[in-house]
This record gives sequence, structure tokens and C-alpha cells, in this order.
Amino acid sequence: MIIKSSDQLPSVTLLKRFPVPRNFGVVPSSRIERGKTWPAPAGATRVKKFEIYRYDPDSGKNPCLDTFEIDLDICGPMVLDALIKIKNEIDSTLTFRRSCREGICGSCSMNIDGTNWLACTRFIRDTAQPTTIYPLNHLRVVKDLVPDLTHLYAQYALIEPWLKTTSPDPERERLQSPEDAEKVNGEDGKGPAACILCFSCTSGCPSHWWNGNRFLGPAVLLQAWRWLADSRDEATGERLDNLEDPFRLYRCHTILNCTRTCPKGLNPGKAIASIKKMIAERRS
Amino acid sequence: MARNDRPLSPDLQIYRPQLTSVLSITHRLTGIALSIGSPLLVCWLIAAAAGPSAYATLHGFLASWLGLLLLLGWTFSLFFHLCNGIRHLFWDAGYGFDLQTIYASGWAVVAISIGLTLSAWIISFGMEG
Repeated sequence: MIIKSSDQLPSVTLLKRFPVPRNFGVVPSSRIERGKTWPAPAGATRVKKFEIYRYDPDSGKNPCLDTFEIDLDICGPMVLDALIKIKNEIDSTLTFRRSCREGICGSCSMNIDGTNWLACTRFIRDTAQPTTIYPLNHLRVVKDLVPDLTHLYAQYALIEPWLKTTSPDPERERLQSPEDAEKVNGEDGKGPAACILCFSCTSGCPSHWWNGNRFLGPAVLLQAWRWLADSRDEATGERLDNLEDPFRLYRCHTILNCTRTCPKGLNPGKAIASIKKMIAERRS
Repeated sequence: MARNDRPLSPDLQIYRPQLTSVLSITHRLTGIALSIGSPLLVCWLIAAAAGPSAYATLHGFLASWLGLLLLLGWTFSLFFHLCNGIRHLFWDAGYGFDLQTIYASGWAVVAISIGLTLSAWIISFGMEG
């Protein structure tokens, strides 16, 4: 079927996961074991199962998959509501990041039913039975659904995400025409400046899984494009020099999982192609 | 706790296959199949040049069910890699990045490469008969 926007869920799912062994390429300490089951309260009418990745650094044990059964009749509509309900009522040690609960802070990005999305903007009714929830992919896990984003923030710092100028400071703020502003904000408000740095795309990118040490990944490259596309920025050449590298930029193989998964409907894939094109045009 | 002592969250083992990633890995696999298949083409040419008996031996293998299955795989690989390669050329030029276009062009590649494979086999069997 044709997917029109990233928030659209497939009507049929042929495969829930790639046909590889569960522990394919997984070191023993990262293997996921069977966890506890927390049955639904007696008298629950609409029971929904959540299988959630758990890891407690203090226990010395491997990560495991716990099953929580909750009554949807006394739960909010979003996956985040279910997580908060579990933390409040069933197991207070369940750990996850959340803040705005309206898809603007980017804290609660996680892998829900096999794809990355914000827990606060995914309806429970749109998830599978059971819903499976893992932390963002291929990251070191601090606890439960909280991955360590240190490396991703370091990669973000590498592109120097601020306005760089060499011309003398003007008397007032640096102006920009509406057309130039649109290149950053997008005509539909879905330009690179709308990125909330939830890293759903980067952690869903197979190229970043295998080469994440050196490949910057879609979220950071989208931000690199945000500054390249900004008419007020005067460091374009320097920025392109910084990106022109077999790994930093060119490990993008246009898989486009990034554009498929972006919870804000942005297009990191197109931004990366624009950077590649800009470098090619600079050479000619 | 040292960073690398922490477990790594699962990736390929749990991420849902989507048209984007499935076609990408198929592009790679067909590329590998084609590079394995090209020496076979050389063998076929050498056998044809070496004489009727060598050619007959190779032809005997290729006409067996295993040979035909391999040839079918290589034909599909050729057409898929060709069609998806054209899709990649459009992307390199900066076109076709809307999610809807990504999906439409992806399914088009699947349909066209299957269609071309079937046509090639129907035509070649027609020429034989």
C-alpha cells in the first residue's frame, strides 16, 4: 500500500520483524529475557497487554520483557498515558522520559510496535495486541526505556548548530525575506527547523546502527541542512568541508526509514540529498 | 557504570520491515547476486568458444531445474537492480523524496521488475519453441 504521511499506519503487516534469529548479532549481556507478568485487575473489561523492555542497572541481570495488563476503561487514550498509569499504579520503578505530552519536546520517543514514534502522540487503539515497547534502537540503555543519547548530542555539537557569520554585526537583527525563512521553516511548517531532536529517525536508521560511530545520522544531518539552508549563515563552505567525508555524510544510502518514521512528518532523507547535491554543485 | 557495560537496545531484531528498508536490502542482495552471476556469464561464453561438448555440458546444467531456478533468480536480480538503480538516480538528482512518491516509486519498481522478469522468460521460452 502507498503510505502518504509518516503518521499513517500500514493496514496490513506482512512481517512484524525481519526473519533473523532473536539474538542475531546480540552480545550475551544485551539479550532480552522473559520478564514478569502483571495481570489485569479483577473485573477489568477492556484488557490491553503491553510488553515493555525492562533493564535495571543495579540488578546485574540482563534486560527482560515484562507484560503489563491494564484496563483501557480507566486509562487515557495515548501510549504515554498507559506508561504513566503503569508507573503510578502497577510498578513505580518503570522508567521513561516524558515532558510535554503533546509531541513538541521529543522526550518520549521510543520503539512502539517495531517503529519509532512519540509515546504521547500514538493512540493506544492504533497499536497491536500486545503492544510492544522498546527503547530507541541501537543505543546504550541507562534504565528501562531511557537510552543514553550522549553520543547523538556529541554528533549534533559536531555540526556547530548555531548561526555563524564573518560580516560585521549589523545595527539590528539580521533580516531574512519570507522566501528565505521558508527554506528553514518549510512552506507547510515542516522544514528542518521544526525538528524536535527526538532521534526517532537516527535510531531507526540501519546505516547508523552499523556505522553510528562515524556516520552522523539523519537527525543531525537534517540540522546540518537547517544551517546550510539559512540565508543569514555565512559559513556554508566551512560547513560543507566538515561534512564532506565518506562516513559523516556519505554513509547515508537513501534507505529512507528516517522519512518514514519522523513523528513530526519532516523529511531528513530529502535534506541529506540536498546536502549531497550542494557538495556536487560546489565541485563543478 | 561505564557506558559500554550497558546493554545495547535491540535494532534489526525488532524493527518492523517497511518498504523503504526492504527494498534497500533487496537492492544490496540483488547486487551481490549479480556479481556472483557475472562470472557465470563468462563461463557460458568460454564454453561456447571452447566447442560443442563443453557448451552441451554447461547447457545441461542450466536447463536442469536448479539451473533454471538460478537463472530465474538472476533475471529478477538484474531487472530489480536496474529499476531500483534508476530510482536511486532520481534521488541523487534530488527528486522523488515525498513519502508518497517514495512508496509509489517503490511499488512501481517491484511491479515493473516482476513484469520484466516474466516477460523475459515468456519471450525466451517462446523463441525456444
